[in-house]
Formats: sequence, C-alpha cells, structure tokens
Amino acid sequence: MTQLLLLFDVVLLTTLLALAVAAVTSPEPRRAVMLFIAFGLWLSMVWARLRAPDVALAEAAIGAGLGGALMLAAARRAAKREAGDSTESAGDSGAGGPPA
Amino acid sequence: MNILLDLLSVLLILAGAFFFIAGTVGLLRLPDLFTRLHALTKADNLGLGLIMLGCVRFAPDGLYIAKMLLLWLLIMASGATASHLIAKRALRGDGEDY
Amino acid sequence: MHEILIAVAIILLISMSVGLIRIVIGPTPADRMMAAQLLGTSGIGVLALLAPALGVPALMDVALIFALLAAVSVAAFTRRRVGQDRP
Repeated sequence: MTQLLLLFDVVLLTTLLALAVAAVTSPEPRRAVMLFIAFGLWLSMVWARLRAPDVALAEAAIGAGLGGALMLAAARRAAKREAGDSTESAGDSGAGGPPA
Repeated sequence: MNILLDLLSVLLILAGAFFFIAGTVGLLRLPDLFTRLHALTKADNLGLGLIMLGCVRFAPDGLYIAKMLLLWLLIMASGATASHLIAKRALRGDGEDY
Repeated sequence: MHEILIAVAIILLISMSVGLIRIVIGPTPADRMMAAQLLGTSGIGVLALLAPALGVPALMDVALIFALLAAVSVAAFTRRRVGQDRP
C-alpha cells in the first residue's frame, strides 16, 4: 500500500514539474494557456491526493477553470490584434470601443 | 458472494482502464484530427462508465451511487457536445488558428 | 483490495502523462483542446478510484468540478461572437 502510494506520488510530481516547465518555456501564448489548464488540473489532483478535497475544488474551479477561460480569451485577442493590427482590429472589441 | 462481487468490480475497473489506454493510444497514433476525435470521445466515455460501475461496490451509501450516475451522464452529454463543437470549429477553420 | 485501486489509478495517471505529449506537440489548437478533454475525463477516473482507496468520499465532488471544467474550457475555446457564425 505505502509503496504503491509512493509510486503514485512520484509519477504525479514528475509530471507536474514537467508541465510547469513546459508551460513557462512555451513560446506560443495559446499553447501556454492549454498547458496552464492542464497544470491546474494536475495540481488539483495533487491536492486530492493530499486528502484536501476543498482545496482541490477551489484549485480546479478557479485556478484551471476561470483563469484558464479568461486567459484563453486574452490570448486569442492578443493574437488577433497582432495579426491584423491596422486592418482587422476594429472588429475586435464589439460595437462601441474604438480600435486600439 | 463477497469475493465474487470483488472479482466483478476488479474486472470492470480493469476493462475501464483498458478503454482509457485505447483512447490515449488513439489520440497519439491516429493521423487526422477527426479520427483522433472519434477515437478519444467514445473510448473515454465508455472507460469512465466501466470504472464507475466498478466503484459502485465501494460506495458508502446510495446518494454516492446516485452522484456517480449523474456524473457519468453529465460527462457523456458534455463530451458529445464538446466533440461536436471542436469538429465544427475545425471544419469551418477561418484562419484564426495559424 | 485497495492496492488494486491504486495500481489502476497509477496506470491511468501514466496514460494521462502520455496523452500530455499531444498537448505539447499538437499541430492545431483543436488537438490541444482535445487532449485537455482527455485529461479531464481521465482525471475523473483517477479521482473516482482514489476516493474509496484513500477513504475520502468528498473527492467525488472534485470529480464533478472536473466535469464542469472540461465543458467550460471547451465552450471558451470555441466561442464566437454573434454574427461571426457563418463561414
């Protein structure tokens, strides 16, 4: 039982570290956001393994879910602005806002 | 009787793990986005259902079983919707990706 | 009995780790989103196995949040403004 749990922890932590390094060193914003969502899921599983379901709940809902969705929208907006800086960016911010 | 139930739940859980591994292999090995989508969604939902069926043996009370059943139904509905959305978005690809 | 549950959880965890390769190398963002969905589903499986093995039934609530998270992130990923729907 203890050895199996130790093996579980080793797999969990190795992958968590690899995910963190991959997310930080990713050059492309949307890939970094995907890796961040995966990192949040993984960290939430670490909290679940530590028998802290409340912290795991908060991490999954806020850290990965809300933050991930917001960062996805932000990365898309940044990519769009970078791609069509002078031609397309007027359609970016809805009806009222002036183009940046 | 008890050992039979244990054996049955272990078999169900192992079958679920097999379907999960099949889904992962499909995600990695298949050549196209749509074939990957097809392999992933179905295999995963079936694997999760088998694992939950195996975990019914360890449930503390009936409410827990109801929660697991609802969770599986939610996963099936949201998985089907999500794969549909991803496929439609990839089919209409409007140059936003590249 | 609980040893078998943890062993299967380790197998699922390794399968999730292998699926992460698709997030890293995936050619399109849709591939990455798909891999994130696989991550959510397998995570629910791991939590469902871990809940009886560790003796914490509340982990099933965390699994519920994982299910919601997969749906929300896919919806945020494929979101379109009104009027941009037609190709």
